[in-house]
Amino acid sequence: MTQPSAVAGGFGERGSLALYCAVGLIAGAVIALQISIMRIFAVGSWAHFGSLVVSLAMLGFGLTSAVMCISTKWFDQHWRGLSTLALMLFGPLAVASNLIAQQFPFNAIFLVSDPAQKWRLALNFVLYLTPFLAGALFLGIVFLKAQKIFNRVYFADLVGSGICGMCLLLSMYGLRPDDLMLVPLGLWVLGSVLWFVSVGSMGNIAAIGVMAVLSAAAHLMLPSLLNIPKIAISDYKGVSYARKFPDSKRVMESTSPFGYLEVYSSSYLHFAPGLSDNAGFNLPKMPKDAYLGLYSDSEGPSGIIRELPADETAYYRFLPMFYPYLIKQKPETFVVQFGGGLSTALAIAAGSSSVTVAEGDRGVLNAFRTQKVLRDFTGDILHKPGVSVIDYDGRIYLAGVRDKFDIVDLSLADSAGLSSPGGFAIIEKYAYTREAMANYMRALKPSGVLSVTLWNKEEPPKSVLKLYATMAAAARDAGGPDISKKFFVASAYLSTATVLYKRDGFTDGEIATLRKHTSAMSFDEVYSPGFKPDLSQQATILEDYRNQIFGSGQQQTGPADAPPPETAKDVADSPDIIDKPDDAPPPDAKPDVLPSTQLGRIAWQAHVTGTWADVARDYVFDTRMLTNAQPYFAAYVKVADLPLVTDRLDLLQDEWGFLLIWATLGVACVAALSLVLLPLIFGWRTIFSRYPGKGRTIIYFACLGLGYIMVEVGLIAHFILALGNATISASVLITGMLIFSGLGSFVSERALPNARAIMPVIFAIIGAILISYGFFIDHALNAIGSLSYGWRLLWCFVLIAPPAFLMGFPMPVAMTSLGRLGKEHMYLWAWGINGCFSVIGAALVPVLATSFGLHSVLAVSGCAYLLALPMFYAVLKPLEGASPAGAIA
Amino acid sequence: MMDRRNFLAGSASLLALAPALPAFAAVPKAWDRKSSPPLNNAEAFFKWAVEERGEDMKYLRMRWARYGAVVANKDVLDDRNKRAFLMAPREHFVLPKNLSRAYEHAFLDIDYGVTISGPHIVSRMTQVIDVKEGDKVLEIGTGSGYQSSYLAYLTDKVWTIEIIKPLAERTRATYDKLIGEGYTEFKNIQSKNADGYYGWEEAGPFDKIIVTCGIDHIPPPLLQQLNVGGTIIIPVGPPGAQRVLKVIKEKGPDGEIKVTRSDIYGGRIVPFVPFTKLEGDEIKGTHNK
Repeated sequence: MTQPSAVAGGFGERGSLALYCAVGLIAGAVIALQISIMRIFAVGSWAHFGSLVVSLAMLGFGLTSAVMCISTKWFDQHWRGLSTLALMLFGPLAVASNLIAQQFPFNAIFLVSDPAQKWRLALNFVLYLTPFLAGALFLGIVFLKAQKIFNRVYFADLVGSGICGMCLLLSMYGLRPDDLMLVPLGLWVLGSVLWFVSVGSMGNIAAIGVMAVLSAAAHLMLPSLLNIPKIAISDYKGVSYARKFPDSKRVMESTSPFGYLEVYSSSYLHFAPGLSDNAGFNLPKMPKDAYLGLYSDSEGPSGIIRELPADETAYYRFLPMFYPYLIKQKPETFVVQFGGGLSTALAIAAGSSSVTVAEGDRGVLNAFRTQKVLRDFTGDILHKPGVSVIDYDGRIYLAGVRDKFDIVDLSLADSAGLSSPGGFAIIEKYAYTREAMANYMRALKPSGVLSVTLWNKEEPPKSVLKLYATMAAAARDAGGPDISKKFFVASAYLSTATVLYKRDGFTDGEIATLRKHTSAMSFDEVYSPGFKPDLSQQATILEDYRNQIFGSGQQQTGPADAPPPETAKDVADSPDIIDKPDDAPPPDAKPDVLPSTQLGRIAWQAHVTGTWADVARDYVFDTRMLTNAQPYFAAYVKVADLPLVTDRLDLLQDEWGFLLIWATLGVACVAALSLVLLPLIFGWRTIFSRYPGKGRTIIYFACLGLGYIMVEVGLIAHFILALGNATISASVLITGMLIFSGLGSFVSERALPNARAIMPVIFAIIGAILISYGFFIDHALNAIGSLSYGWRLLWCFVLIAPPAFLMGFPMPVAMTSLGRLGKEHMYLWAWGINGCFSVIGAALVPVLATSFGLHSVLAVSGCAYLLALPMFYAVLKPLEGASPAGAIA
Repeated sequence: MMDRRNFLAGSASLLALAPALPAFAAVPKAWDRKSSPPLNNAEAFFKWAVEERGEDMKYLRMRWARYGAVVANKDVLDDRNKRAFLMAPREHFVLPKNLSRAYEHAFLDIDYGVTISGPHIVSRMTQVIDVKEGDKVLEIGTGSGYQSSYLAYLTDKVWTIEIIKPLAERTRATYDKLIGEGYTEFKNIQSKNADGYYGWEEAGPFDKIIVTCGIDHIPPPLLQQLNVGGTIIIPVGPPGAQRVLKVIKEKGPDGEIKVTRSDIYGGRIVPFVPFTKLEGDEIKGTHNK
């Protein structure tokens, strides 16, 4: 049945409980460290770079595996010393690398213009790689010595990772981001002690104790002793500005898995999102010190408005979210997202007979409900008469409720007062999708109004065009093909855009009222029933916008043209500056309507007549609508244009989040494939010459690495639909997937004797489940979303269990087979290939999701498992020269 | 934090950066507001700037090269603005570590989460508000001080407000040092540390207001302190991805005061700054090619 392993001194056929616990805890420490570093980046600088650094650092597993594969014998001989060394170093390296990296922060916004920033990024990567190398070396040695019982060790690895990941997330209730590092340290100490017990090296327990005390002390005390920060919070993070205001005061702080919340008070904080310029002359009294600044993970501020006395409420009239109240008296109002409370306060002040307000962020809701400082400041807004609170996403509530409303408001939800520097994150915005909008529209009374306000700060316009497309499509879904009488749209240049949808169409009187208000506020009318825009410039505007980004500067007309580059060079090189006659009009000359406003008008005309696809095709940016499959206000650069943007990154700084996911994929592919190739170059003709089917074996493990991580990361994004929060979704998925897969791995031992017959069935079922999940899981999650939270969590685990359990089989079955066949080089390498392709898979998910939709992620991972099916047989081939009896049945 | 920063900055300049600091000579002659450096010939400009202003050739060469780019780019259009560009000593307003990059197109870090805008955008914004001699100009967001120094070559009435206290103090010290060295035109810059949101009521109303910090709306007090017929210019968006909004306050035919928004390119769609790349002292092509 089995063939003796070439490796002497393994853990035998069973292994001890201490061994399994040690493996689980160390694997858990690695994942806890990974999440901790990402949290540190999210709070200190920019989360996307955290993902980049961490995912590359995970290549430490690939690197370790490649090296171990080439020199297996040496590692086998020195396994005791090496595993001790790896464990002794993990904690100190984690602490030291973090402290040093925080002294050399890099700043994303200078990445293109400042050459030094690239080196800082590289230094961060190298530093954070070191603890992962130690962790990978330890786990690599354990796997090397556990070839016969891989499935059990793997079970411990997965379950340990899952449980420890959950521990870390729970610890976020008590630990601030800068102290999260203590969790992986604690797991590491426990795991190390158990390891030394299991291998009988009791003498090392004292040593690891000393290392642990030193590491924890260094983390907790060195920063204050040396006066260095534990987290270098970028000067360009919103909270850094607030801290510098002379009278700024932090009035509230809370930490939870939902984020690290801070509230600051200062007379220097001013908000009035979209405020009409006419307020300056026409407002009798401008409210002073009207806002507190709310910062989540150092980003912000979102304005928290104080309760305004009656003589100051005229202020609300000058905000764009006041629009629906012009035509609705004493409405029953629904506010889709509470945020900082502005929409809610406005709804109350505008005379709503009732206000129902939803907020999916429990951290925010708890703060407003329980913190005295916020309750006093806002007049206890959430407990006012007539206000009722829904403590989960408004989007989910409206999809399931029978109540109907006069006004549904979604205004600048979850949006900070200012744009965050350094590019915008790729975040699922399910509140703005076609499906969500259609639900809002259906939740209106027959003459009800949906009012959506969005930032309109981009030139060329991007987000607002996506919003327009989404709302037009949703209106057709909710109420039939003719939408011409149902919309009124107004915007202010480089400020905000507001779209009003009325279910039964606007009356002439209402249109007159809205138009008059638009003019009185100096806003621009973009669409109203019967509005006839000037379409004669459509082709020119579209072409000019394209040239703005991709032109050579020579195609445009007008005074602000860039000269041909040769001219610029000639002039600069020449000792003489020669004035050229300027035949263009002065820069003050302007057309009656700004191009971005004109483009908005063209867009609405096209939406109403159903010709938007033609316009969108010619526009410089991708402005496809948001759907549950592609819920992103991002990815505006068309994929075909990506090669053209590399020399003009400074023009597209708000797209860096999107460009970075492509760059991460590129870097991950190059780095991972290099690591995979390393053993190939050194050993294809020597070490692996006796290995039949080695090419297909590589593909097998690549498929598993790619498929597994893509399911995990892809489902995290999907499950936000039902769970409403990215952190909770990540916790449920990480824990659920790993634990169920761990159980699968444990049970997979029984499949070993009959692997040839059982595994193909398992692969086929996994492929079928994943592909069908790709198409149907959103419907299931939408249904689950309307249940109480406990039931939602339970149903989510029920959805995760079947694929995760089965996905626990392929890796241990194949690895144990390799071990038992004596293919230890391939065994080690396979582990590395799996790790490398996990990195590629994780980087591939956002690229697929933004370009093709989230369902494609699950479909691709399903296909990866189906591709692994035929490859599996190559894994079972015995070594050349070995007796056929060595093959697994 | 502050102590550490000062300590580090101090040690760094002592240990590493001191040898790289330029030997800025004292300015020999006070500037006569009617005089101008030669605008069309490099050597003549260098000679004038060394004799009249005592400036360092290294930076004069960089300034002249960037001047060529801003002229070619039509960021500056008239002689008064050209003169302002050639006279404003940008090298005094960047951090020592960025001296070699003082005239690059890009915005540069100046600590406190603030940047000094690139030379193209500064000259473009200033050209657009068309400052006349004697105009009262208010700047919100002093930052490095470069914008106000540039304005000081266009008018003798400049007010500037900085919200970040240590930065306001640092830049005030820079002005005072430069005034002491002979840049007496900077005596016309009145500065204070305050919240620019409320403008500078005692000094108003103003003919032109330049806002150089991001905000989600135009502060109503600034619109109140702006003369009818005046212009506010305000960048919107994060550093590096900003669009520049131009706001005109004017009296309509019906006698009502109106506010009109446009952008600094007068509503045309044009490639956004920066257009030219400077590597060392030379312009190497453009970012749009």
